[in-house]
Formats: sequence, structure tokens, C-alpha cells
Amino acid sequence: MNPFVFEAPTRIEYGEGMAASAAEILKGLGASKILIVSDQGLVKSGVIAPILKCFQEDQSLSTSIFTDVPPDSDVTCVNKAAAQAAKDGCDGVLAIGGGSVLDAAKVVNIALTLGGDVLDYQGMNNLTNRLKPMVAIPTTAGTGSEVSAVAMVRDVAEGKKLLYGSRFLAPDVSILDPTLLVSLPAKLTAATGLDAVTHCIEAYSVEVTRSPLTDVLCLEGLRLLFQSLPQATKHGDDLEARSNTMIAATMAGIAFTNLGVGVVHALAHATGGQFGTHHGTTNSVFLPYGMQFNLEVVAPRYATMARYLKLTDDKNDEVAAQTLIARVKALSGEIGLPSRLRDLGVPALKQDQLENLASLANSDPAIMFNPKEASVQDIIGIYERAY
Amino acid sequence: MAIFTSTEQLNEVMERLWNKIKADPEMSRQLLKSKLTVRFYYREPEGRLTLDCSDGKEMKIFTGENNVKPVVEMFMKSDVAHEFWLGKVNVPVAILSGKIVSKGPVQSALSLLPVVKPAYAMYPEIFEAAREKKAG
Ligand SMILES: NC(=O)c1ccc[n+]([C@@H]2O[C@H](COP(=O)([O-])OP(=O)(O)OC[C@H]3O[C@@H](n4cnc5c(N)ncnc54)[C@H](O)[C@@H]3O)[C@@H](O)[C@H]2O)c1
Ligand SMILES: [Fe+2]
Repeated sequence: MNPFVFEAPTRIEYGEGMAASAAEILKGLGASKILIVSDQGLVKSGVIAPILKCFQEDQSLSTSIFTDVPPDSDVTCVNKAAAQAAKDGCDGVLAIGGGSVLDAAKVVNIALTLGGDVLDYQGMNNLTNRLKPMVAIPTTAGTGSEVSAVAMVRDVAEGKKLLYGSRFLAPDVSILDPTLLVSLPAKLTAATGLDAVTHCIEAYSVEVTRSPLTDVLCLEGLRLLFQSLPQATKHGDDLEARSNTMIAATMAGIAFTNLGVGVVHALAHATGGQFGTHHGTTNSVFLPYGMQFNLEVVAPRYATMARYLKLTDDKNDEVAAQTLIARVKALSGEIGLPSRLRDLGVPALKQDQLENLASLANSDPAIMFNPKEASVQDIIGIYERAY
Repeated sequence: MAIFTSTEQLNEVMERLWNKIKADPEMSRQLLKSKLTVRFYYREPEGRLTLDCSDGKEMKIFTGENNVKPVVEMFMKSDVAHEFWLGKVNVPVAILSGKIVSKGPVQSALSLLPVVKPAYAMYPEIFEAAREKKAG
């Protein structure tokens, strides 16, 4: 077995209605002036109002509210939120939202704690100190950002996604409250769910960082997603289905933050950075093609997943692995996700644009962990097949 | 015990290696194309090496302190650098676990990894020469 490191520093509190305990939890972490970060979609859907009410009722806490995080966040918004938090003397952060909000809040916390411009803190493991206490309340079941040690923020001007990675970026506490998912539209339920599916499959395929601890998270996470994602998409008020997808996404988050991901994420980051396509939706399109590309080196792993999910009992790894790829495609179709990149509004690219995008993907940190070496030409091949 | 016995020895080995990389037409062409400025911070023993490709025309190599502003900074033990140039470091694992710390756009640094791979073959000779010089 490889030597491995496994870290899961975030305390997880799960329960229907659990979001109401955010104020207590932040107090327990020693915070009293809380920056609350969210986005306009969540304001409109009414998700954050009851949580804010709990804070207003607690005289021992004060809040500073920032609800302008755009999709995929942006360095400008992060700097703005950090300036607001500093002006208001915040000593703790609460993020309520999907991956965009959670990632933005993580990076805001860097600037709030350490000062300066967020561009200066990009990197991997370059933070040396703990940040201010942070609590995350995910409202999508997908990204795993509620437990991951990374954050990505879009630099709109540069058409790139900036990466921040540090164990200090994993929130101190994450509150998993499935009732918050009820308002998530079917399309986003499906897309964010497929992000989690991609995490399970890509992370399980990474060789260099794997361990039995991560294996169980990927396998069982994927099983829960296959079991409950169609139901959560069709019947958004089914709390059991919502809970399963939420817990599975968090399991996948713990897995990939210890393992890494692969070529599908590298392509999704590059495409999302250039064209602003939604992360989960973009992953869902690339996933079957990325799996097919990796098949020759990871067939035994895909086969193990297929058998664990009881999709097949075929002894032949190649055959069993193909069953998994087919099932992934079928799941995407069943929950209404597009199967082609062109359907996401991505324009047809000229050769030089294609090479540029593939080079971006080829230097994305996700690609380091892909089980099979992928050249720029290989990446162009995957892209073209997915287009 | 650390592989390098002094800062001088470490800086000398790294400077020679990078000068050999500079003399290699293919590696230098690709590095210049990147226009990247990278600084390596070594510890145990201490060392600094800055590679400045920003003008796209000439690779500039400095050891020690200087005023060039790097885009990417990499921090590691000198032993890790040695193992890296021997091709023995699993870079993803080292980056994920913090053995190699990077500051700045990691993407840019990673894009250079495949470019400098041919230098793995150059390194042992340069390292041995510096060690023999010291022993002699
Ligand atoms: N840090 C990590 O580990 C990690 C991992 C994967 C992805 N990401 C990042 O996450 C981002 C994507 O996040 P996402 O997929 O969760 O989507 P998102 O956060 O961009 O949200 C998408 C939309 O859904 C709305 N929404 C969210 N929850 C809702 C709810 N309960 N009810 C109604 N509307 C709701 C939001 O208002 C928004 O308009 C990307 O930027 C990606 O890079 C981060
Ligand atoms: Fe993801």
C-alpha cells in the first residue's frame, strides 16, 4: 500500500432544521461579529431569511451581511466582501450557499485574517496560520466545499480560475440541513449531484494518494448518489433522498480533498474559467469521455465500483467497467442533464483556441492526479468527443 | 544528514543545472515561451534560486537575494529539491501534503514540470562534480 495522509478536520452536524444552530455554533468557536456570505439566488429563494432571523434574535452577536457573490465567485467580489468584513470588525465567517458562496467565503476569510489582496494568497499549502472561525451551510449537494481544503475563485478579467489550497481552508464546522435543499431547482439538483458523482469516480481512480479510508467514502458515496439522485431531482421535497445526496456529496468532498481528482475536473475548470459554464454541468458532460480515456489503466477500479453498485457481477473488468460508464451516461440522461458541450452554450473553437484551452487544462492542478498521463492532444481529443 | 553541506554548494549545483537547462535549445525555448519568473526557496541548508524568463528573450538565473519579483514561489527542503532532480519525488503527493509549498498560480508552475523533465538526466553528473570538488 502507498504511504498516505488522511485529514478530515471539519466537524459535521447533520439534521433537519440544524441550520438554526449556526449562531450557537459560531459563539462556541469564539466569534461574535459574524460576516454572513451568500448570493442573490438564495436571498430570493428564501433560504437564508430564517437563518438570519436566529442571528437577529441573539443579542450577543452582531452581523455584517454580504449577499452579492456571483456564480463561480470573482476576485473583485471577494476583495469587496473582505473590505466590508474588516470595516465591520468581523471575527468569524458564516457561508450559506452552494460551492460558489462557500469558496468565496473561504477566500474572504484569508483576506480578512491576513489582510492585503487575495491574489497574493494563491497557492498550495502556503498559509501558515489558522484563519478566523468559519462555519459552512451548504445549500447544494455537490461540491464538497463544506469539507474540502481548497477554494477556487474566478478571475473574470483573466478568464481563469484561481486556486487556493490549505488545510486551514476546511471550515471548522459544516451544518448539513437537508431542508435547505428543497428549493434547489431540479436542473441544479442534477448538475450539482453529478459534480459529486464525478468526485467519487475521479477520486477513486487516483492511484498515488489512495487508502482504504478514502475507498469506502468513494464507493458508498457513489452508491448513495445512484440510489437517491433521481428521486431528489424529481421530488425535491423528499427529505430522505435530499439527505442521502447531501451526505454523499460531503463524503465525496472528504475523499477528493485527500485524494485529488483528474482530467474531467481539469477540463471543467478550464472550460468554466473561459466560458462561465456551471461546474457540475460541465463535469457531467466530460465525465463519460474522461472515464473512457482513463479506462485502459483504471478498468479494475471502475469494475469494483460497478460491482459495489450491483450494476453487474461480470468477472471481466473491462466489461464491468463499461457497465459503469454506460450507467453514468444513463443517469445524466435520466435526470435531464445535457450530454454535449455545445448544449451548454460553449461556442465552436478554432484550433488555436482549442490548444489554448487544452493547455490550460493540462496545467490545472487536477490533472496531476489523473491516473493516466494526458497530453494536450489527448485533452483536445476528449474535448472534441464531448463537444 | 542533509545532502547539501552548505548554501554555497547548494546554490552552485542549482545554478549549474539551470545554466545547462538554458543551454538546451528546446527546454529554454519552452521556458521563455512561458515568460514566467519563479523563485525557489530552499531550507536545510538555506538557498535561493530565481529564474526570470519574463522578457521572453533570455533566461536569467540568480542565486541568493535579489529584487526580481517572482510570479510563483516554491518552498522546500534542499533534500526534496535533490530528490526532485533525481526524478524521485512524486510531485502531486508532495504538493498535496505540503512537502513542496507553492505560492502564486500553481498552474503556471505545473506547466513547467514536463518542460524540465529532460534535466533529470543532467543532474547526477552536476551533483557528483560539486560533491567531489568539496571532497577534493
Ligand atoms: N472548494 C471545492 O472543494 C469545490 C469543489 C467543486 C466545486 N467547487 C466550486 O463550486 C462552484 C459551484 O457551486 P455549486 O455547484 O454549488 O453552484 P453555485 O454555488 O454556483 O449555485 C448555483 C445557483 O444555485 C442557487 N442555489 C444554491 N442553493 C440553492 C437552494 N438551496 N435553493 C435555491 N437556489 C439555490 C444559487 O443562488 C446559484 O444561483 C464552482 O465555482 C466550483 O469551482 C468547489
Ligand atoms: Fe467538482
